[in-house]
Amino acid sequence: MADMDLEVWKGDWDLPSVDTNCLTVLFIKVHHMLYTSIMHVCCRHDSINIQMQVGRNSRMLYTCTLYIPRGLKYVQFIDNPEAYCKFSGVSIDIKATNNPRKSPTGCLPVLRHNGSAYTKVTDIFSYLRRKNWGIDFELNSKQSADILAFTSLLETKLLPAILHLWWGNSQVFIDITRPWYGSAVGFPQSLYVPNRMHKAATDRVETECYPHLEMTPQEKENLIYKEAQECITLLSKRLGNKPFFFGKTPSSLDAIVFGYLAPMLKAPLPVNPLSKHLGTCYNLCQLCSRILSKYFPLSREELEEKRKREEAEKARAQELGDFPHRTRNIVLAVLFALSSMVAFTFFTGMLALEIVDADGGGDNMSEPKGQGKRKS
Amino acid sequence: MAALARFITKNKLSKLTVTGQILLPDSASCLSVKAFLEMCGLKYSVVLRNNAEHMSPSGKVPFIQIGPFLISEFEPIIGFVNTKGFHLSANLDDTERAEMRAYMALVDNILVNAEHYISWCDATVLQTVTKPRYGSPYPWPLNKLVPLKKWYEETSRLKALGWSQKTLSEVCEEVQTCCQALSERLDKNNFFFGNRPTELDALVFGHLFTILTTPMPVNKLAEIVKNFDNLVHFCARIEQQYFSATEAS
Repeated sequence: MADMDLEVWKGDWDLPSVDTNCLTVLFIKVHHMLYTSIMHVCCRHDSINIQMQVGRNSRMLYTCTLYIPRGLKYVQFIDNPEAYCKFSGVSIDIKATNNPRKSPTGCLPVLRHNGSAYTKVTDIFSYLRRKNWGIDFELNSKQSADILAFTSLLETKLLPAILHLWWGNSQVFIDITRPWYGSAVGFPQSLYVPNRMHKAATDRVETECYPHLEMTPQEKENLIYKEAQECITLLSKRLGNKPFFFGKTPSSLDAIVFGYLAPMLKAPLPVNPLSKHLGTCYNLCQLCSRILSKYFPLSREELEEKRKREEAEKARAQELGDFPHRTRNIVLAVLFALSSMVAFTFFTGMLALEIVDADGGGDNMSEPKGQGKRKS
Repeated sequence: MAALARFITKNKLSKLTVTGQILLPDSASCLSVKAFLEMCGLKYSVVLRNNAEHMSPSGKVPFIQIGPFLISEFEPIIGFVNTKGFHLSANLDDTERAEMRAYMALVDNILVNAEHYISWCDATVLQTVTKPRYGSPYPWPLNKLVPLKKWYEETSRLKALGWSQKTLSEVCEEVQTCCQALSERLDKNNFFFGNRPTELDALVFGHLFTILTTPMPVNKLAEIVKNFDNLVHFCARIEQQYFSATEAS
């Protein structure tokens, strides 16, 4: 059986991916890996027989035989469920392709398996569930209904605000979103992919606020953010003091909420009208940080890199003090002063220019005043 | 709020004339608001106008007129009525209220969009029902042009929401999951939350009852809803309780 391929946007700002839907699907994958456990291992001289339980669903027992080349220590497989899954043919390969053009709908994530591709999060979930990958096996039908309802709530109330924040707010769009997606997709595509995504996002936002109604952009913005704040409050109340929405184990609703909120909490946005409100919903912030630390811990290299980056930034900030573009400003000021001086000398007649032919028009040169400069 | 709430909708569905103007989604939201006002015990009168859509502040029917106020659509009307001291969901706790809002969003997200889809994206319904009805109050050639303009608006809205690319069977699947969820939530109870009706009951009744009772050339939505016995009984019960008396009088 071929591996499933999952194409996603790459990660940044300590997140495994920056896109809401990609984050949600990644969460399901990692959750599945964490609960894959080895039931029985039998070693022979050239192979290992392994029986394992995949996911939390105890019905799925895989038996597989690994033929290992001589000299390879089988110990390195024991602690690595991902390696087992790979060998049993149920692994998901994650590829940060950053290339939405190959996707059938022009969006990421895409899950490809055996020639078919799935792009919508709900489709990916149901496909994975058919393959016995998934997360909600322990919930009863009423709880599944609740998940569907809350997913709709997020889609109708919170999604427009998030899209507006990332794509509709010109400051965020110019400073963060467009440069980020532009560099992610690479040169020729960076000319049109961010613009296309921008158009799709603004169209989606427009449907929320009655296109034929005469509202100022400010009023529209207020309306959208007000609804999003209500939605966040409702979620926070539903979560209460529980670690996850349905008790002690995460459900797909946790995955979806995490996907929506984590980028907003982690990205260095210049303006964020929702952050203040999100800060008051302490339990939701905790949910996100808990999921991040448990499911997506930074590897040692990433931590090292982050530390270095922070130190470099700190050093630069100290060096420049309160003026971040000091050198540039000095150069600009000097250029401006010089050019205005030159212009002044021109217009007051202190400086004159004449074209001098090479064959000896030297005596044509006139200098009205002694202190004038000469140019040719 | 003893004051009379005037309630303005478009031309009502009528058996005598074929020139009724109202469409499935509008009819459903009108019925939801009516059910909500009935559940609150408020008096209102229904006024039918051909140009109700253009009188409404948000461009959508129904809207209510109370004194100097014009308020349109379900949620703003609920908000307004709540400020006047009528609460249907006052006895719910925070978690339940969050769940109620979530289910209302579910109905908005799936049932309402499915109604729009079937009215404007299904070729049979579009040609035989939607366009003739929508253009009926206008003389030729406006009766061809006005539906065309509306069709353009509706399809671009559905496209932005990602619905216009779906096939009819995909839409039916969505409606099936939505009804499944509602049916699970309702279970064998009389109402969705406790023994008293809430805003959610009004909203669900409005949409499901309209889907069930409106004759359509493509009645797949009604067939899906009919598979859920408890939802059908729920609609019949609410109709009996709140609407049989008013229609008799």
